[in-house]
Amino acid sequence: MMSFDVLFNQFLSGIARAAMLFLVASGLSLTFGVLRILNFAHGSLYMLGAFLSYSIWKFILIPVVGFYVATIITAIILALIGILIEFFLLRRLYVRGWPEQLLATYAIILIITDIVKYGWGGEFLSIPRPKPFTGAVFLFGFPFPSYNFFVILLGLGLVIFLWWLVYRTRLGDIIRAAAHDREMVSALGIPIPWLFTWIFVLGSLIAGLSGAVTAPFGSVALGMDIEIIVECFAVVVIGGMGSLPGTLLGSLIVGEVYAFGIMFKPELALAFIFIVMAVVLIIRPWGIFGRPER
Amino acid sequence: MFLQTQQITKEFGKLRAVNNVSLEIVKGDIHAIIGPNGAGKSTYFNLVTGYHRATSGKVIFKGKEITHLPAYSRCNLGITRSFQITSIYPKLTVYESVLQGLLCHRKVTLNFFSSAKKFFKEEVCRILEDVGLADQANTLGDSISHGDKKRLELAITLGTEPELLCLDEPTCGMSPEETDVAMSLIKKFSEERGLTILFTEHDMSVVFGIAKRISVLHQGTLIADGTPQEVRASEEVQKVYLGGSA
Amino acid sequence: MLTNQTEKKDSIVKRGWWLGLLFILFLIAPSILSEFYLSILCEALVMSLLALSFNLLFGYMGQLSFGQAAFYGLSGYTVAMLVTKVHFNFWLSLVAGVLMAGVIGLVVGYFCVRLRGIYFAVLTLAFGQLLFVIIYKWHNFTGGDDGIQGVFPPDFLKSPTAYYYFILLVFTASAYVLWRIIQSPFGQTLKSMRENSERTEFLGINIARYQLIAFVIAAGFAGLAGAIWVPFYRSVAPFYLMWIKSGEPVMAAILGGPPIFLGPVLGMFIMTFFHAWVLGFTIYWPVVMGALILVIIFFLPGGILGFAHEKLKERKEKLNLTKGQP
Repeated sequence: MMSFDVLFNQFLSGIARAAMLFLVASGLSLTFGVLRILNFAHGSLYMLGAFLSYSIWKFILIPVVGFYVATIITAIILALIGILIEFFLLRRLYVRGWPEQLLATYAIILIITDIVKYGWGGEFLSIPRPKPFTGAVFLFGFPFPSYNFFVILLGLGLVIFLWWLVYRTRLGDIIRAAAHDREMVSALGIPIPWLFTWIFVLGSLIAGLSGAVTAPFGSVALGMDIEIIVECFAVVVIGGMGSLPGTLLGSLIVGEVYAFGIMFKPELALAFIFIVMAVVLIIRPWGIFGRPER
Repeated sequence: MFLQTQQITKEFGKLRAVNNVSLEIVKGDIHAIIGPNGAGKSTYFNLVTGYHRATSGKVIFKGKEITHLPAYSRCNLGITRSFQITSIYPKLTVYESVLQGLLCHRKVTLNFFSSAKKFFKEEVCRILEDVGLADQANTLGDSISHGDKKRLELAITLGTEPELLCLDEPTCGMSPEETDVAMSLIKKFSEERGLTILFTEHDMSVVFGIAKRISVLHQGTLIADGTPQEVRASEEVQKVYLGGSA
Repeated sequence: MLTNQTEKKDSIVKRGWWLGLLFILFLIAPSILSEFYLSILCEALVMSLLALSFNLLFGYMGQLSFGQAAFYGLSGYTVAMLVTKVHFNFWLSLVAGVLMAGVIGLVVGYFCVRLRGIYFAVLTLAFGQLLFVIIYKWHNFTGGDDGIQGVFPPDFLKSPTAYYYFILLVFTASAYVLWRIIQSPFGQTLKSMRENSERTEFLGINIARYQLIAFVIAAGFAGLAGAIWVPFYRSVAPFYLMWIKSGEPVMAAILGGPPIFLGPVLGMFIMTFFHAWVLGFTIYWPVVMGALILVIIFFLPGGILGFAHEKLKERKEKLNLTKGQP
C-alpha cells in the first residue's frame, strides 16, 4: 500500500509546500531579524496579494504572461502598502514596547480581513495554472504538477537572492549588524529609519509575491491569513528565531510533516505540525538554528 | 568550604570567556573579583549565580554541586545577586519591591487569598531603615535617584536573606559620597547579618577598602588570588594593570 | 513610614461608595431595561469576565494572550454537549466546562510559557487557532459549522431576568476572587514578573511555573464565562473560539485601562454596546475593532481609566506643589 512512488510523490509535495512556506516565512524572518517586530500582519499582506493578483489577472486578460504580469504588479502594490504601513504606523511604535507593536499589527490583520471581505466577498477563488506550467511531470509513473516545480524553483531563487543580499552586499552587512546592535549601527551614521522601511518593504513585497504565487493552488479564501501565519510561526519556532537557514529548515520540516500528515489523516495535518512544534519547544525552545537568549 | 568553582569554563562559540577558573570563597569573607575589561568577571559571576550554564567545570555551594541548577534554585539555596545595570521594579513602590524579596524567600508566593501587604511589615521596615530608604517607601522604583536605585536593589536582595550575596559592580555610576555610603553598607551587612559577599568592581578604592580577599582575572584566567597585600605585590597583576590604580 | 493609614481608608471608602452604587444599579436593572438591553447587559457582564481573565495575564503579569476565546468556547462546547447529548446535570456541566478549560489551559500553557513576549502571544494565537480548527472540522462530534443548539438552563433560570441575576452573581463572585488573587502574594509576584521578570527569577521564582499557574487560572475564568453564556444564548458555534473573538477582551482591556482592575470591565461595557450598535448597520465589525485598537494605542495609551488616573495624579501633584509654597 505504501509504495515508494507514493511516498516519493508525497515527499515532493512536501517540498513544494515547503517552498511556498519559505516564500512567506522568509519575509517574516527578515523583518523580525532586523526590526525585531514580528509582523503579525504578514499573513494578511500575503492574503491581500493573493486576492489582488486574482483581480489583476482577471482584469488585464493577457494570455500566457498575464499571470506573471499580475504577480509582478501585485508585488509592487504590496510593497507600496508596506511603505504606507511602516511609515504611518510602525515607525511611531519602535519606541514603544512589543505589546503595542503586536497590538498594532493585530489591528492591521482585522482591518485587512474586512477589506478583503468587502472587496471579494467570502468566496473561494483560484487562478488556473499559468503556461508553461499547466501540465504534469511524470515521476516514477506519478503525475507531479509542474507548477509545483515552478514554486520550488522560485523558492530556491529566493533562497539564493536572500543569501546574496544578506551575506554578499553592503546592505546585507548593515542588516546583520542592525540585527545585532541597532544603536551601534545608528551611531555609525546609517539612517536606521530608512533601513527599517526598506526591510519592511522587502518583506511586504515578498508577502505579495507569495500570495500571487499561491493563487493557482486554488486556495484563495478568507482565513488564509491566519492559516499561513500559524504555519509560518511553526516554521520559525522549529527552525529558529530570526535565522534564515533556520527558516529554510523549518519550512522543509513543516512542509513534509504536512504532506505526510495529509496522507494519514487530512483533518489532523495541522495537529501533526503542532506536535512537532511542541516537541521542539520542550527540547530546544529557541529552535534548531536559533540561539538561546542567555 | 562555602563556595567553590572547579575549573569552570564558559565558551561563547569560539570565545573562551572564562578559562578553567578554580576559586574558593570563604564563608563570612568579603571577596572581590577584579580584572581589566574583558577579563571575564561578569561571566564568572554569571556562572556562579546561574545566569549562564558552564561549558565545563563545577560550581559547588555548601558541599552541594549546583553547576546544572537553574538560577531560581540557586537563589533558594542562599545565593542572591545584584546586576551591573540596576535591576529593580520600575512601577512598584520601594516598599513593594523589598516585600517581594521576602515573599519569595519565605515561600508564601503561592498564597492566593491573603493580602500581600499584610506580610512581613517589620522585616521590610527594618531593611528599608538599614539601607536608608525608609522615607521613600511609597515612591515608585523609577522615580528615585540612581544611587537610591542601587540601594533599592541591595534592599531587595536582602529580602531573600541570602548567605552568599553577589554584587555586580555595586558602585557603578555612583558619586564619591554615594560610593562611601554603599561601601559602609556592604561592610555593615557583612558583619551584622553574617553575609558572605562576592563582588566585582572597577573602583580600586572600594576593592582595597573593604575586600578581605581579592581574585584577579585576565582574559578569562585566574592570575592572582589572595589577600589585598599579596595581590598588590604580585608582579603579574601589576603587569596586567600596567600601572593602574592598584 | 508605611502608607498613611487614614489616606488608605479614605480611598477604600471612596471606591466602596462608587461600587456600592453601581451594584445597586445593576440590581434594579431588569426593572428599568427592556429585554433587548437586558440581554446586551448580560453579554457585557459575561464578556467582562472574559476580559478580567485576560487582564490577569496582560495587565498584571505582562503577557499578551490571543487565545482566551478558545477556552471560553471550549467550555461552552463542553456544557452544550453535556446538556444536549447526555442530558447531564446542568450545574455539573458548568463545572465540567470550567474544568475542561482549565485542563486544556494547562496543556496549552505548558508549551506557551516556554516562550516570552511576542512568541508567547503568537503561540497562544496558534493554539487557539488549532482548537478552533479541531472544533470546526470534527463535524460528527461537535456539529462543525452548525454548532450546537438547544442548550437550556434549568426551568427557574429560563427567564431573562432570572438568568441575568445568575450572571450578575457569578460575575461579582468571580471578580471578587480575581481581586483577592491579585492582592495576594501570588498576585504581587505576578506584578513583579511583569515589572522585571529577571529580577524576580533571581529572587528564587521559577517564572515559567508561575506563568503557567496564572495561565490556568485565566483559562478557568474564561471557561466560566463561556459556561454561563451558552445556556443564556441557548447555543454555541465554532466562531466562539476564533481569533477575532480572542481580540475582544484584548481590546476591552486596553480601552478601559489594563493597570486598573475594573478597567477591562469598563472597556468591555463600552465595547459590547458599541458592538451591538455597529452590528445594527454593518457586518464589518473587525475593521471597526482594528481601527479602534489603533486609536487607543496612539491616543489613549493607558486606556480610559489609565488616562483618568494620570490626570488625577497630575492634579494631586499640582495641589501638593502649591501647598508647599511658602
